[in-house]
Amino acid sequence: MNTSPKLSPTKYDLLVVAAVLALAVCLGARSFLDARKPPQQAGGNSVIISIDGEDVECTPLRDYSGQHVYTNNGYTLTVASADGWVDVTQSDCPTQDCKHSGAISRAGQSIVCLPARIVITLVGTNADYDVIVG
Amino acid sequence: MKRFFSLLLAALMLLSLCACGAEKSAGKVVYAMDTVMTLTAYGKDADTALGEAEFELYRLEQLLDRFTEDGEVNAINANAGKPTGVSDELAALVALAQHISDKTSGAFDPTIAPVMDAWGFGGSEFRVPTQPELEVLLPNVDADQILISYEDRPRITIGTMQALDLGGIAKGYAGDCVKSIFEKHGCTGVIDLGGDVTLVGRKSDGSDWRVAIKDPYDPSAFLGTLSASDCTVVTSGVYERNFTENGVTYHHIIDPATGCPAESGLVSVTVVCADGAYADALSTAAFVLGIDRAAALRDAFATETPLLELIFVTGDGHVLYSDGLDGILEPNTESGYTYEHLS
Repeated sequence: MNTSPKLSPTKYDLLVVAAVLALAVCLGARSFLDARKPPQQAGGNSVIISIDGEDVECTPLRDYSGQHVYTNNGYTLTVASADGWVDVTQSDCPTQDCKHSGAISRAGQSIVCLPARIVITLVGTNADYDVIVG
Repeated sequence: MKRFFSLLLAALMLLSLCACGAEKSAGKVVYAMDTVMTLTAYGKDADTALGEAEFELYRLEQLLDRFTEDGEVNAINANAGKPTGVSDELAALVALAQHISDKTSGAFDPTIAPVMDAWGFGGSEFRVPTQPELEVLLPNVDADQILISYEDRPRITIGTMQALDLGGIAKGYAGDCVKSIFEKHGCTGVIDLGGDVTLVGRKSDGSDWRVAIKDPYDPSAFLGTLSASDCTVVTSGVYERNFTENGVTYHHIIDPATGCPAESGLVSVTVVCADGAYADALSTAAFVLGIDRAAALRDAFATETPLLELIFVTGDGHVLYSDGLDGILEPNTESGYTYEHLS
């Protein structure tokens, strides 16, 4: 029966061990730092405009003030924003559900215009809920 | 060679370290069933689950939407008065819809479509139908007239003047189907089918999902927040689809007995149920029935679904909720509502 020769580490083996340890430390440090990141402050929401299911615009809410016009699927929406609120003020869609949705101001809220296939969503980490029903 | 194996070992160790990272999450927006659906999955196979879920939702739309050409419901309506061969799946769902209609005394009725169309709620041209018009249509609103036979294959026959519409149960059923897909792939998540929400499992930290319920008087505000898992939450409210004519606002929840918007003193009903199809159908039924008769639904369906809780919002500013929501429903104390238990 053969016996294995006694292995003695070379400098290359030590190099590999050092590289693994260094990478492990880096990965661990990243996870640790990610976990300690401060939550986004209130008012740190962003506005995401989705057209046909694709996000086409993402703007911090504080930079979104004023009027914005979006056209898709033959319909045009006018979206107004001021003081942390976002609202559809005009729409030529047949249902007008987007106009009737009212203004939104909290993370997780959205305004949907189904005929235009446009969704306006507020995102942020300051919400104390995961989803909105109704 | 020894160094090669050392490097291979190091690579494997690195891969195992990567697996220790945060749980993967993924989202997808799907336009189907005349609404916008937002799916969020957590788990290592989240992308696969979402892809399969999207395909499933398109399949269900094809199967269940009465306006989709080549769909089975569309075929039943086109063939009204004669038996139409259908899949086992559709036969089972129509049988469930018929069963719920029966147990809610017709407050939920899958043959309400001609009346909904008369009001324009099937599309976007809203109008107020005349009383004689409704009197012609109402005798055909009757789920008892649906015949389901099982011979070589299931067949469904509706009355010649009837139309089948599963819109009141389809999204809840779709939530159940997507939930099964998430579970098959070991994922948790939130399935938001146009405001009807199905919760899969719990959050990755083991806590319940937090579900905010829209305030029917101000849909940009909330009347409370639920902590829940593994269930479906559906709200039927007057704010969802309505129109105003000559100063009167007409909402889309039609009472099958009158053919007119239900006047039960409620502005919204939220149902929390273990089963999505039941949640969807019973939210409509509860709204039509009003508080006293709807509260009895909990006992009526107790043997069929292990969880059925209700939240009613009345036109005079009261929120009444069933006792199973104690400690689960967190009222919004700034809403101005009075919160009470159902008696």
